[in-house]
Amino acid sequence: MSEMANMDSEGIDAVRMTWNVWPRTKVEASKCVIPLAASIAPIRPHTDIPMLPYAPLRCKTCSAVLNAFARVDFMAKIWICPFCYQRNHFPPHYAMISETNLPGELYPQYTTVQYALQSFPDPNNSNATQLPPVFVFVLDTCMIEEELEFVKSALKQAIGLLPEHALVGFVSFGTQVQVHELGFSDMSKVYVFRGSKEISREQVLEQLGLGSAGRRPTVGYPKVLQNGYANTGVNRFLLPASDCEYTLDTLLDELQTDQWPVQAGHRASRCTGVALSVSAGLLAACLPGTGARIIALVGGPCTEGPGTIVSKDLSEPVRSHKDLDKDAAPYFKKAVKFYDSIAKQLVSQGHVLDLFASALDQVGVAEMKVAVERTGGLVVLAESFGHSVFKDSFKRVFEDGEHSLGLCFNGMLEINCSKDIKIQGVIGPCTSLEKKGPNVADTVIGEGNTTAWKMCGLNKSTSLTVLFDLSSTERSNVPGAANSQFYLQFLTSYQDPEGKTMLRVTTVTRQWVDSTVSSEELLRGFDQETAAVVMARVTSLKMETEEGFDATRWLDRNLIRLCSKFGDYRKDDPSSFTLNPCFSLFPQFMFNLRRSQFVQVFNNSPDETAYFRMLLNRENITNAAVMIQPSLISYSFNSLPQPALLDVASISADRILLLDSYFSIVVFHGMTIAQWRNMGYQNQPEHQAFAELLQAPQADAQMIIQERFPVPRLVVCDQHGSQARFLLAKLNPSATYNNSSDIAAGSDIIFTDDVSLQVFFEHLQRLAVQS
Amino acid sequence: MAAPVPPGAPRPGANARQQSPHPNFNPNFQTNPNSLADNMQNMNLNRPHSMPNSGPRPSPFGQPPPFPQSSVTAGFPVASPPMSRPGPPPGMVGRPAVIPAGPPQTTLPANVPPGRPVGLPVSHPPPFGSRPPPASLSSSTGGAVLPSSAFPSSGVSSASAAPPPSGARPSSFVSSSPLTGGPAGPMSRAPAGPSSNGPPAVGAGALPGAPRFPPAAIVSQPPVGPPPSMMSARAPAQAPTMRSVLGSSAVSSPQTPPLPSASSPFPAMTQARPPPLGSPYGPQTWSMQPQQGTQPPHIPGSTHAQPPRMFGMPQQALPNQAMTNIPPAMGQPGAPMSGSSKIDPNQIPRPIPNATPIVYETRHGNSANPPPPATSDYIVRDTGNCSPRYMRCTINQIPCTADLLTTSAMQLALLVQPMALPHPSEDPIQVVDFGESGPVRCSRCKGYINPFMKFIDQGRKFICNLCGFTDDTPRDYHCNLGPDGRRRDADERPELCRGTVEFVASKEYMVRDPMPAVYFFLIDVSMNGVQTGATAAACSAINQVISDLPEGTRTLVGIATFDSTIHFYNLKRALQQPLMLIVPDIQDVYTPLETDVIVQLSECRQHLELLLENIPTMFQTSTTAESCFGAAIKAAFLAMKSTGGKLLVFQSVLPSVGIGALSSREAEGRTNISASEKEAHKLLQPADKILKTMAIEFAEYQVCVDVFVTTQTYVDIASISVIPRTTGGQVYYYYPFSAVSDPAKLYNDLRWNITRPQGFEAVMRVRCSQGIQVQDYSGNFCKRIPTDVDLAGIDCDKCILVTLKHDDKLQDGSECGFQCALLYTTVYGQRRIRVTNLSLPCTNMLSNLFRSADLDTQFTCFLKQAAIEIPTCPLLQVRDHVTNLCINILLSYRKFCATVSSTGQLILPEALKLLPLYTLALIKSRGLRNDGRIDDRSFWFNYVSSLSTPLAIPLVYPRMFAIHNVDSKDGDESVLPPTIPLSSEHVCDDGIYLLENGEDALIYFGSSVDSSILQQLFGFTSVDEVPTQFVMQQFSNPLSKNFNDVVNVIRQQRCSYLRFTLCKKGDPSGMLFVSCMVEDKNANGPSYVEFLVHIHRQIQMKMS
Repeated sequence: MSEMANMDSEGIDAVRMTWNVWPRTKVEASKCVIPLAASIAPIRPHTDIPMLPYAPLRCKTCSAVLNAFARVDFMAKIWICPFCYQRNHFPPHYAMISETNLPGELYPQYTTVQYALQSFPDPNNSNATQLPPVFVFVLDTCMIEEELEFVKSALKQAIGLLPEHALVGFVSFGTQVQVHELGFSDMSKVYVFRGSKEISREQVLEQLGLGSAGRRPTVGYPKVLQNGYANTGVNRFLLPASDCEYTLDTLLDELQTDQWPVQAGHRASRCTGVALSVSAGLLAACLPGTGARIIALVGGPCTEGPGTIVSKDLSEPVRSHKDLDKDAAPYFKKAVKFYDSIAKQLVSQGHVLDLFASALDQVGVAEMKVAVERTGGLVVLAESFGHSVFKDSFKRVFEDGEHSLGLCFNGMLEINCSKDIKIQGVIGPCTSLEKKGPNVADTVIGEGNTTAWKMCGLNKSTSLTVLFDLSSTERSNVPGAANSQFYLQFLTSYQDPEGKTMLRVTTVTRQWVDSTVSSEELLRGFDQETAAVVMARVTSLKMETEEGFDATRWLDRNLIRLCSKFGDYRKDDPSSFTLNPCFSLFPQFMFNLRRSQFVQVFNNSPDETAYFRMLLNRENITNAAVMIQPSLISYSFNSLPQPALLDVASISADRILLLDSYFSIVVFHGMTIAQWRNMGYQNQPEHQAFAELLQAPQADAQMIIQERFPVPRLVVCDQHGSQARFLLAKLNPSATYNNSSDIAAGSDIIFTDDVSLQVFFEHLQRLAVQS
Repeated sequence: MAAPVPPGAPRPGANARQQSPHPNFNPNFQTNPNSLADNMQNMNLNRPHSMPNSGPRPSPFGQPPPFPQSSVTAGFPVASPPMSRPGPPPGMVGRPAVIPAGPPQTTLPANVPPGRPVGLPVSHPPPFGSRPPPASLSSSTGGAVLPSSAFPSSGVSSASAAPPPSGARPSSFVSSSPLTGGPAGPMSRAPAGPSSNGPPAVGAGALPGAPRFPPAAIVSQPPVGPPPSMMSARAPAQAPTMRSVLGSSAVSSPQTPPLPSASSPFPAMTQARPPPLGSPYGPQTWSMQPQQGTQPPHIPGSTHAQPPRMFGMPQQALPNQAMTNIPPAMGQPGAPMSGSSKIDPNQIPRPIPNATPIVYETRHGNSANPPPPATSDYIVRDTGNCSPRYMRCTINQIPCTADLLTTSAMQLALLVQPMALPHPSEDPIQVVDFGESGPVRCSRCKGYINPFMKFIDQGRKFICNLCGFTDDTPRDYHCNLGPDGRRRDADERPELCRGTVEFVASKEYMVRDPMPAVYFFLIDVSMNGVQTGATAAACSAINQVISDLPEGTRTLVGIATFDSTIHFYNLKRALQQPLMLIVPDIQDVYTPLETDVIVQLSECRQHLELLLENIPTMFQTSTTAESCFGAAIKAAFLAMKSTGGKLLVFQSVLPSVGIGALSSREAEGRTNISASEKEAHKLLQPADKILKTMAIEFAEYQVCVDVFVTTQTYVDIASISVIPRTTGGQVYYYYPFSAVSDPAKLYNDLRWNITRPQGFEAVMRVRCSQGIQVQDYSGNFCKRIPTDVDLAGIDCDKCILVTLKHDDKLQDGSECGFQCALLYTTVYGQRRIRVTNLSLPCTNMLSNLFRSADLDTQFTCFLKQAAIEIPTCPLLQVRDHVTNLCINILLSYRKFCATVSSTGQLILPEALKLLPLYTLALIKSRGLRNDGRIDDRSFWFNYVSSLSTPLAIPLVYPRMFAIHNVDSKDGDESVLPPTIPLSSEHVCDDGIYLLENGEDALIYFGSSVDSSILQQLFGFTSVDEVPTQFVMQQFSNPLSKNFNDVVNVIRQQRCSYLRFTLCKKGDPSGMLFVSCMVEDKNANGPSYVEFLVHIHRQIQMKMS
């Protein structure tokens, strides 16, 4: 919800931190329980960000970019880098600088500025600006006719929406991979690759006849290649959208479902893995620096060749969380390893993998997650290609205009920070570039061991979570107050949708505080929403990477520690326990997080979990918070729409509830409302108000849907209807069959043994105050 | 006939079949194999159609030799049947008897019983129509016709028919005897039937009369000697029949030439005929490529269906032969030759063609009848032994002991060509259906029931002629024996009275349902192929043969092209246009679709045609020089794996990439001279085992590969040929490929390849009587177990050499049986077992062996063995070996059999008198010369490996004709002019010569050829204008017409379109021609005379 995001504290910088005031030592930091972390949205647009049409100045030693926090000696034409204190001379073209004539980056309010670069930093192709974006559609054909028709029409629509100069390629797969040579006019021509055999990039290039031509640019005559494609031969496969739209339409019309026979009792043979590696290989023939995405449309699990996630035998179900836990998923690790190698290749090429999966069963998102996430790709999981979750999301990807995703390519994030701050890593859609430096922490969380990350694909809403640590060495030379501020600088270079290269520089400063002296300041700097999201992200990461990790326990322990540290209480007196308002919402977030799909994975398939987590990691804090703790709005005759407690008690017969749990939006009609509606009152002029009441939540839901990618699933239901479970599952079970006696009429109960928020709090208080 | 005959049932009514066009008739022969014969008959017109029972039809003999006068005489002689009657003793037929016959004939060379004139014999009306009168054999020469005629005639005449055969007959004769002027009656008809048509018609329609008429034959005899004419006589009848047209032409040509009327029709017909008709001989018709239009398309072939195909038969006594021929009767024929100086080059033995067919009965009076030379023209009546076309032995008597065989120095081997093309006038092979129980077999050796199994104990048991075991007769197969000890139903049951029958296979012979007819075309579209026009030629050829593929839903086709990748095409009708599917991984190939790559012909015809038209242009701009032959055939194989089928590959360059890639070994060999000297033959071996391994896999899945090499460079045929050899296919070689002259041949080769009689997924085994066993098989097949050969494909041109050895003694006076069983699937999906039986007498006499030696077979055996040695032995050794084989045989003869004692004389056994000449020719042949290109040699010995006996001889000793005077033929000549010995002294500077070996044809221009002749024949006026590439054209002048006729006759005889090369004296092309003059001394060997002297010396040395 960017609307809300704009209003929140992210501001121009789009940076939110768990702690806005940092303790000075590692020991103190660890006592804070919640890690030092920042969530950044590297290219979130903001009207106030100035665009500077020149290259930034960089510090000689630490290469941090000149920013508003630098001290400038106008007389000497010198600036002092706030990170390393290096004194840098201004270059000659800055000669005009003076206190009254500041360049944009030195305005104090412009902590974030954007440079439009003339050239991409990669020296190899200084000329290669304005490369058209490339879209390679990779279509699964192992599906029933009906689904295939849906996806075909979605594809045709998408191709119509592409910018004319965008290059389009098409690959279909089933038992085998078919690379369509769109530039061959005599007849339809496809290159067929076997689905069962792993194929290297070199082999793909050679077999597509792109061998020598494809490699040439990397070896060396970038200047010969004016617009990059004429000489590579890859233009046989990648054509400007305007040229190949007709061809593709015909091709799609004739495209049939996979013709290889499927044995009874078996899954179709589907070589998603090879299809992806072939597509990646095809893109390898493009010039480096080309923004390209592989858009995979998958209708089922990979059962053939590398990347297989399940055998063809239908009697063997696709792995569940239980199987993964018990190590009973024979294909999982191999498949992950394979997709990891694809991820590496794509990252090295700077290309993106987008995954659109629609199937009733799992398709292997859990395995492919690595490739999607590392390349910064989009992912959408739906039940059918005919479903709006897919259709509308897919369309959104290619749409222009205000709701456009603003797909950018070839992003690279670098972080500079003050001395003693170490970077543990980043959680989110990026890949470590393994750029070592003094600011790299020993312990790694997520993509670490670096101060630079590659984001092959990113868009306006892409967010990353950076986890910091403090230097463990006691600082001997603390110059006291002199350096009560620390600085973080985020440099994001990327190609915008038009192909221009941009560099966004965000420099933020925060305060050090000696928490041993005063935890008050520390408290005030706590951002509970961010903290909750960061905890969710860290928990998810740990669940994925740490064997036998008990998430609930870990969250509980941390919450108790946090409460013990920051709560006000008398020892061993639960009733005396209170929390500072800065913390007051946090336990509830934790309560919901424990109940959420991120922690309670057993209600979901590994695919869904992977999907949820990918979105959790890439969304901004506000949206992520909604995923953890849905928002509930109540509509009734007597009042304006108002937020309601996420509690079963909010259900009432004469209300409409709108639940936004991010992935789905539920419009829930109370029993009475539903009856009225069924009787058609809304159609009677005298009941205009009722019609409006019915309309209001729908309109709000549409607003949310429009803003969001992927498009959430809209569930409209009535109290006691079967679909009502989408709401009930998210509510605090304050009323269950155990205590059904004392509930209000018209409300509802939830059939669960889960503890309610109150019980949770009681336990928390008791444990927090224990000595 | 498609319909199987139930065992024991009377033959299917001939009437039924013949009256209307055969239901199964398929011009292409594709119907089931049996039907072939029928078709053939239809096509060829000449031959009167023979009823199954009918006796041999008109035999060619009647035809007098080329010499007019002789003919005349012949005719008369014929008349004198009596003579013949006595007939030569069965075995001997040929020789002695002859003499009595017309004077001219006496001279005839031994093999053929020239004497036959006698034949007439029609002799006695055989008890059963079917049985050939004993006389018939003898009659063959002269009147042979008769008996046969009788039957047929009945049939034929049927038209006229009703009347007793007799009436009919005569007429037939008449016609036949062009020479004689025959009986008037016939004549009249002849004219009526416009000529030519008549005869053929006969064939087709003929048989109304049905077998039943017995030996009408008798009647016929007297009149006319020359049977051939019969056809013409029939003319009237013919008209009705469809085929007639063609036939007619055919007929006329060969036999009737003399008659003016006949001849005239002929020409007309030829030219005029619309191609389609011609088709009967489907395969043989030569249609030209469009551009060549001028030529009368098919007709040619068909026209001459009957021409005298043979060579080698000395029918007439040529003066020169006399010397060689010693009176055969004695078995001592020896040709004394004195020292070289005394040798008169004109007196040394040479093959002499015989122009007219003889009728040959395989058994005669309960003993085997030695077959006529393989290269001669003959019509077989199967009277117990199989037709020699299917199986013939190097010696027609089997030595009782291994020692005896060793002493003779001869080879004991069978040449088996189980699907050989029958003569059009021969009876079709009968199909016997034993129902679910399958054919009766010996329970011990599993030999199939055959005429030589002896029934005993009132028919309750039978003794297997192969293993000697006594089996119980199955209850429902029981039949009492007659007074002669034979089963009473023996003559009604083909399996008990015919040497060759076909059994309908029951379930137990099938591991799966019979496979569909799958044709997969694979075309090289690499740069070279496209630019030389080879790709276009292949596409056009395929496009034209599509209509020749078998009809029906069981016919599946697929197509793919390849350069450095493999391109399949999805031809499914649902698509708007074909979809090209590229398989780029040529190291590890796969098929791009499971189902739609090979589709029913009826479903994809339009797409296929469109595609074939587009392919050449589609790859016009290709710059891919590489070609992945190995990978492509592997991929195609994978596509066909589930069914098997025929894979037809058109390859234009050396396969340089992908699986089984080859290197330019030849060039490497040249640069490294020392190695090449020592290891020269290594280049003739496959480069590695990859292709062999693939080939074995192909064979296992019943994929038969034929490779059409259209190239201008080295392609390493030695390696490539492994694939077709192992899978029962063959290599076609067009080097240097010419876009002008080769497409027509390519098309015709492809067409014959597809339309000739053939079978799929075959297994063959030869069984022998106790005492003899099979030593080895060689030919184009895959052998996984020692006793059987697996043939993914088998067709009428493929021949397999089966060498035999003794494992025990045989009893003198007994007979030794051989049985070849071929289990196969017809193109129409029926599973059949073709069983071919041969039973030969055993002997303890060395002289019998020499007398019954079969020259053509012996030599073919040599040839094939030499071909096998070529890649593994140094060349010199191979040549020595061949020479020694020849010397040792002659030595043995000289030592043990010759009575002439003058040491100064070279004595040759009559039967083998041409052995030295052929041996010399072999030594000088392309495969045994070291001055040739490696690929040429590789092709040569691969070609030899499956070569049939009738084609083996001309391969080494081609036929040469003068064509500058083909217009001058006199009335009695056959279409073919007389052959000329392969010696430069017979080649004049003002002549033009045609030399053909069954595959290639050279046209040689002397340096001072008359320009008007040039103009008439070729359209240019000076030898200097001789083009390098040649396309046959027919100009409107008799010379040109006759020349075309000659060529067409040859094409038809060879079942090959012939690849023409124009040679000019003084040119390199002239050298090529000169190198074919095998009797001349040249760098590769001595002259014929010198060679004889050499042999003589060697023999003398060894004697002393």
